[in-house]
Amino acid sequence: MTRRVAVFAALVIFCCASGGMAAELEYYKVYKPETGMTADEIMQIVYHNKYSLFARDYDLPESEIFYVDPSGLVRTKLAERYRKVEGGSNDIQYKDLVVVTHPTSVKGLAILTWTFQNPERDQDVWLWIPAIKKVRKISASEDDDAFMGSDLTVEEVSTRRFEDETYRLIGEKDFDGYRFEHTGEMKFQGRPCFVIEAEPVNPHWYYAKRTVWVDKEMGGAIFEEYEDRNGDIFKTIYREWDWYTQGDLRYPTQNAIECKDQRTGHRTVVLNKNQKYDEGLDDSTFSLRTLQRSKW
Amino acid sequence: MRKICILGVTAAVLALAWAGLAAAAEPVSRFVDKVLPFENLETAGYFKNETALSLAGFDEFYKILNIVDFKANYKFNDRVELFGEIKLFYDAVYDVEGSYRDLVNKEKNTKLQLPVKTEWIRQAFLDVYMDRVDLRLGKQQVVWGTTDGVRILDLVNPLDYREWTLNEYPEMRIPLWMANVETELNPNSHIQLLLIPDYQANYYPPAGSPYAPRTVVIGAESANQPFVTVTTIDEKPSRNLENTKIGLRWRNVVEGGYLSGLEYTLNYLHTYDFASSAYTRTTVNINPFGPPDIQVKLTRRAEQIEVIGGSFSKSITEGIIGDLGKGWTVRGEYAYIANGAMNYGTDKNIVGTVDVDQFNYAIGLDKVFLTDLQFSLQFIQLIAHATEDFDKSQYTLLFGPTRGPLDKVENLITLKLSKDFMHERLKPEVLIIYTDDNDWRISPAVSFELNDNWMVASGLHIFEGDSAHLHGEFDKVDQVFFETTYSW
Repeated sequence: MTRRVAVFAALVIFCCASGGMAAELEYYKVYKPETGMTADEIMQIVYHNKYSLFARDYDLPESEIFYVDPSGLVRTKLAERYRKVEGGSNDIQYKDLVVVTHPTSVKGLAILTWTFQNPERDQDVWLWIPAIKKVRKISASEDDDAFMGSDLTVEEVSTRRFEDETYRLIGEKDFDGYRFEHTGEMKFQGRPCFVIEAEPVNPHWYYAKRTVWVDKEMGGAIFEEYEDRNGDIFKTIYREWDWYTQGDLRYPTQNAIECKDQRTGHRTVVLNKNQKYDEGLDDSTFSLRTLQRSKW
Repeated sequence: MRKICILGVTAAVLALAWAGLAAAAEPVSRFVDKVLPFENLETAGYFKNETALSLAGFDEFYKILNIVDFKANYKFNDRVELFGEIKLFYDAVYDVEGSYRDLVNKEKNTKLQLPVKTEWIRQAFLDVYMDRVDLRLGKQQVVWGTTDGVRILDLVNPLDYREWTLNEYPEMRIPLWMANVETELNPNSHIQLLLIPDYQANYYPPAGSPYAPRTVVIGAESANQPFVTVTTIDEKPSRNLENTKIGLRWRNVVEGGYLSGLEYTLNYLHTYDFASSAYTRTTVNINPFGPPDIQVKLTRRAEQIEVIGGSFSKSITEGIIGDLGKGWTVRGEYAYIANGAMNYGTDKNIVGTVDVDQFNYAIGLDKVFLTDLQFSLQFIQLIAHATEDFDKSQYTLLFGPTRGPLDKVENLITLKLSKDFMHERLKPEVLIIYTDDNDWRISPAVSFELNDNWMVASGLHIFEGDSAHLHGEFDKVDQVFFETTYSW
């Protein structure tokens, strides 16, 4: 209740100051969408949760990525991921380190990313490729590029911002459920959600519209449908959210993603395991020195 | 016929191996896990076949190289790890092609067919991670600089030119035994100290092998002239404390402000030149009753050099005006190399050797265009300045690998384009290298990932230019190559 009041108060203050725009949410706080909020306010919480800006750091020691071809061929990548939320210090929102551990052909590949608070600003990206044995500063990928060859684009994983779209609240509905193809289980059936329609600010973008189902309890986008100019759905993304609890901490966390290209039938499944928050990750973890430690 | 038989057997073995390994998921890794059941031991490796044959007529193989690579990392605890890499190879071309077979029979230790001595140890080092200091002790490669495929500041390790520069640099670099200490001043600022007691010269393959540099071929032809006796003396620095090479690098990443994200280094290297300088002394003894006796004394000396350099890289994350420039990465490096030496003379003919300082630099631009089209352009200038006098009206400095005339300023441009398709399974790319002497190399290639373990690749290397220049000397070695890799 206290939290709800705080969010409301913050929103009111910001709306008064900025002529109706949604408020910037504070770092290191957990927000929950509530009935009565605007689409903008709900989506800000969605982004806040997507990038775990509620926590000081994030430790994902094991992430499995499956590339599932309609022919049945499955390729696998394994990775570790670490994130430190900088809270806007030097304009940096968070620093991210991803280390690929499988397959052997890309084992040891490590990517250090600085993501800035300014939404107009590209990420700074350093890459350690064990095969060339040096740290390379690389240009940020285009936002509509495939992320590590998956069905997800770069912006769907890490660069899309609240400011990149306009939002309309369609209503509040119970989710029909999603058949998680990886296990065959039905997920989130009957779950109360906000349904939000999002249109990209760039009129020539790779999608014309997406419909987002936001879980009311956790504030995470659990299902997205991407439409092209003809109104045909060409991609769906399912995200499995759950609560992470450790002592007094209670954070919404993503355990799984399943992204399916409806045109080709190819899908990408991401399983996140043993995630931890607020472990006190050292600044040195996000340095070029750490990148170089990656062998292979 | 012999060629066809060997190729047939190789293809059959590969096909059987593929069928067998594809049937059982990652059998090698399971086998290794059984043989080495240590909880803190992590292993990986690959089998690879690299085959290249002449593009003109497809009638001559340049390599039929079979490689087994095995890497292992043992983690004693969070702070101490031991890493090793073993690489064994056998190049069947030295049994298949008659001319190369003769070469291996004639010259022992050519290193071309099989690894010699301890060359099969590619890496072997102990890592000690402390709070603010990383220590790496052992046989290793250290890479400085930001340039791809051209050596400006990357001067810590010598190179193996057995395939000229067609191999990737990590395969070309000859690892050295050294102590590598990296100290953290703050998370964005580090000082690296290298102490290198080890020394090895660059490796140039002998005359008669596919990639023998022109200077080696000319030298061999001279030595085979009638009445000429060549005595070669290699003056290499001995491996003692006094000859320890020292490297220092300060690296900093700017965080905050207009230059946020700028990474720069300042480097210093006190070392020996891996490309020995050649000093020749010729004595002609006139024999009134017969042919003259010509004695050539060739001294190959590793000069002690000092390298001062630096590098930088910066991504333009915010447009300069609007979105102008946004998305580009600019990188560069330079090296001033003092106290080196070079031959001077005319094309193919060495007249003498003089002291030379060099200033080399490179500027690179990278961007991702459209959907995942990687663009990388580099401009490089190599400037050599003789610090001793010689008759410049008649002679020029000579380019080491070709013994051809060296321009005062050599210009190179490289362009690499690459893209991926099919969820990063299919990756075409093309590399173009151009030098201002109308000298080219074009290398288009495509790789395809069959599954997590199997990768196949194919491509061309086309050289064009005069034999006195960087790529033209291999104009007759245009080739098509095929690679098959199984990794676990």
